[in-house]
Amino acid sequence: MKLPVLFFIAALFAAAHGVADTVIEGRIDLPKSRTAPVVSKRYEIVSKGGVLAPYPPFAVVWLEGDFPKATAPSVQQMAQKDLAFVTPLLPVQVGTKVEFPNLDDTYHNIFSFSPVKRFDLGRYTKDVRPIPSQVFDKPGMVTLRCDIHEHMRGIILVLDSPYFVKTDADGHYRLAGLPSGHCTLKAWLSSKSTLEHPVELKAGATLRVDLP
Amino acid sequence: MTRGGETRVAAFRARLLAAMALVVVALTLFGLYLVERSVTSETQHDLRVAFTSELGLLRTVRDIRHASLAERCRVLVRKPRIHAALEDNALDLLYPSAMDELGDALPPGDDTGAQPSMRARFYRFVDIDGRVIPPLSAAEVGALSPDEERRLGFKGVPQEQQNGYLVRDEREIIEIFATPIISTETGEAIAALVAGFPVALNDHASSGLRNGLWVDGRLYFPSLDEAARAALAAEIAPAVARSQDELAKGRAVRVNGAEQMLFCERLNPRSLFSPAYEVGIFPLADLLARQTKLRWKALVAGTLLLCLGVAASFYISARLAVPVRELATVSAENRVLRERAEAALKIKTDELERTARFSANASHQLTTPVAVLRAGLDELLARENFTVDTREEVSLLVHQTSRLSGIISDLLLLSRLDSGRLELTLSPVDLTHIIETCVDDLQLLYDAAAPEVQIDLPRALHVAGDTRYTLLIVQNLLDNARKYGHAGEPIRVSARMENDSVTLIVANRGEPIPRPSWEQIFERFHRGGVGENIPGHGLGLNLARELARLHGGDLCLTRSDSEWTEFAVQFRAASVDSRIAAV
Repeated sequence: MKLPVLFFIAALFAAAHGVADTVIEGRIDLPKSRTAPVVSKRYEIVSKGGVLAPYPPFAVVWLEGDFPKATAPSVQQMAQKDLAFVTPLLPVQVGTKVEFPNLDDTYHNIFSFSPVKRFDLGRYTKDVRPIPSQVFDKPGMVTLRCDIHEHMRGIILVLDSPYFVKTDADGHYRLAGLPSGHCTLKAWLSSKSTLEHPVELKAGATLRVDLP
Repeated sequence: MTRGGETRVAAFRARLLAAMALVVVALTLFGLYLVERSVTSETQHDLRVAFTSELGLLRTVRDIRHASLAERCRVLVRKPRIHAALEDNALDLLYPSAMDELGDALPPGDDTGAQPSMRARFYRFVDIDGRVIPPLSAAEVGALSPDEERRLGFKGVPQEQQNGYLVRDEREIIEIFATPIISTETGEAIAALVAGFPVALNDHASSGLRNGLWVDGRLYFPSLDEAARAALAAEIAPAVARSQDELAKGRAVRVNGAEQMLFCERLNPRSLFSPAYEVGIFPLADLLARQTKLRWKALVAGTLLLCLGVAASFYISARLAVPVRELATVSAENRVLRERAEAALKIKTDELERTARFSANASHQLTTPVAVLRAGLDELLARENFTVDTREEVSLLVHQTSRLSGIISDLLLLSRLDSGRLELTLSPVDLTHIIETCVDDLQLLYDAAAPEVQIDLPRALHVAGDTRYTLLIVQNLLDNARKYGHAGEPIRVSARMENDSVTLIVANRGEPIPRPSWEQIFERFHRGGVGENIPGHGLGLNLARELARLHGGDLCLTRSDSEWTEFAVQFRAASVDSRIAAV
């Protein structure tokens, strides 16, 4: 009852000031969590039947369209802590430089044989400077492994878009500050499952998209 | 000793010698048989121990090498780069990664790293369909002929490590490990690493143990020539075809004219690769020589033992013959003595019989004249013309005649007893009645002179006896008591029953009989120390005892002191049944 009224007021306010924001929000139907949420709230990449997915489940939602390339490459970090990647699933825009700091007291050797980006950082400790890094310049999924710790898995989603966000544990997302026009909304659930939905964005409008 | 005795002793000695020699020979033969058996089993056991230890050593080395290679392969297939190459769709990086990861274990390279036998001759990856993933450069991963490469493939990927053997160019044995690569993402085998390592066949110069390999139906045995190999292959092929374990325990075969122990053991049980067997031969020449030597030793020892045994038995039989000879002498003397004693006994028996017969005849012969005498005397007494004195003397003669006939009848009875011709007809006899009869007779016979008889008897007293002779016993005892009791003193008759026997006691008050004479009074014609003024002829007690014994009882003097002289006679009580019958 109250929510539409608030939206209405907000829309009036935006129209009056000429800085209306374009938003997509909604909910992605996530796979059921197999167990109760972990106490530590620590996320990890698990594989089941050859499918890699974050656990507890969440999705990465982004808008795909003809957007201008980023001018200055941004820098992100994907650390190794307690023999695991934190965060295990990192969405980045094409051209982003990702640093891989080693926060453990042991060696790590991060490498990827994924066709999108093949690299091998070699062995290094926490003291190594500069922090080993890679620039991801092609869109796609990159599986990260450690040559020393065979269980370690990390995923970097290289997206050809500046508009992306991770859903919360319930699948709710909100993308704001979007351009208007015809685009495709995509949601990455696992290495084998990406949902997409065409959207027509109108300036200042808020679109609600629930997938699937 | 007699000549016959000598001969018998000699025969005994010969028989003893023969028996002992037989036993010695049998024991020696049995011992030889046991020794032979033990020699055989011992040498076989030695052989088994020898080659089992040799073989065990070889196999331990082989197993350690095998296990370390197998583990090496397992470690290699867990390498993340190899998994990444296979799982992240980067097959082009598979062999280069392997080259990096597998390092010194895999070819090519100099031999400075791992031992040559631990360095793989070649390796290949096999994809999920069992096909060999072609390497970028065959030289870098070890060259293989197309036929060899074909033999590395499978139908699909094995789920467990497989082990096989390959003989290359008749000169090199390769042990192949096919190790599945299990995906960390799916948990299934997605590929396999197939690596071949060279195997060295170690012949043991010291023990003569030689090794070969049987694989793909062919024998690879470099230390044997062609003919020997063919002969061995002919032994192995059918055994392998029948059963995998048939030759595991070994079998004696002839190779190049020499006895050898052949054994085969499957090297790769339950493998998808074609079965391979380790073949070993172990020379038996030493063993056979040792066995023969031991046998000879045993034979010589056995012969010596036999000679010793025969000599010992000769000696022992001679020693044993001595006491036998003595025994024979003694027994000959004994026989003479026995014969003499028997002859004397016969004479005595004959004499006794003659005496008894004489006494019976005499008694019998005397009866008639005494009767005639008595009749004559009675007739004389009947005459009127005798004076009182004459009549008195004739009466005395009549009395003596009566006594004579009493003695005669007693003697007659005794002689019948002695010759065993007296037969009793035992039946229940009422002893009380008999005693009363006898006491009545006593009163009748002696009238006023008769002693008082105190009778203390149970109400019914039945014994097993012959009425006539039981009466005689009681009569004799009462008469005896009357004769030897002091005048005017009573006679006491009592009886008691104990179990199956009845004891009758007849007691009188008279001169005590001295202890040493207690048995003598039962002898014939014994009158004890009593005066001749007491009538009697010394047969009464003897007769009573003989009769009591004939009844299965006895008569004894049980007491003789200043108060009483007691005679106890035992009878057998009549059984209840016979008592009832008597009633």
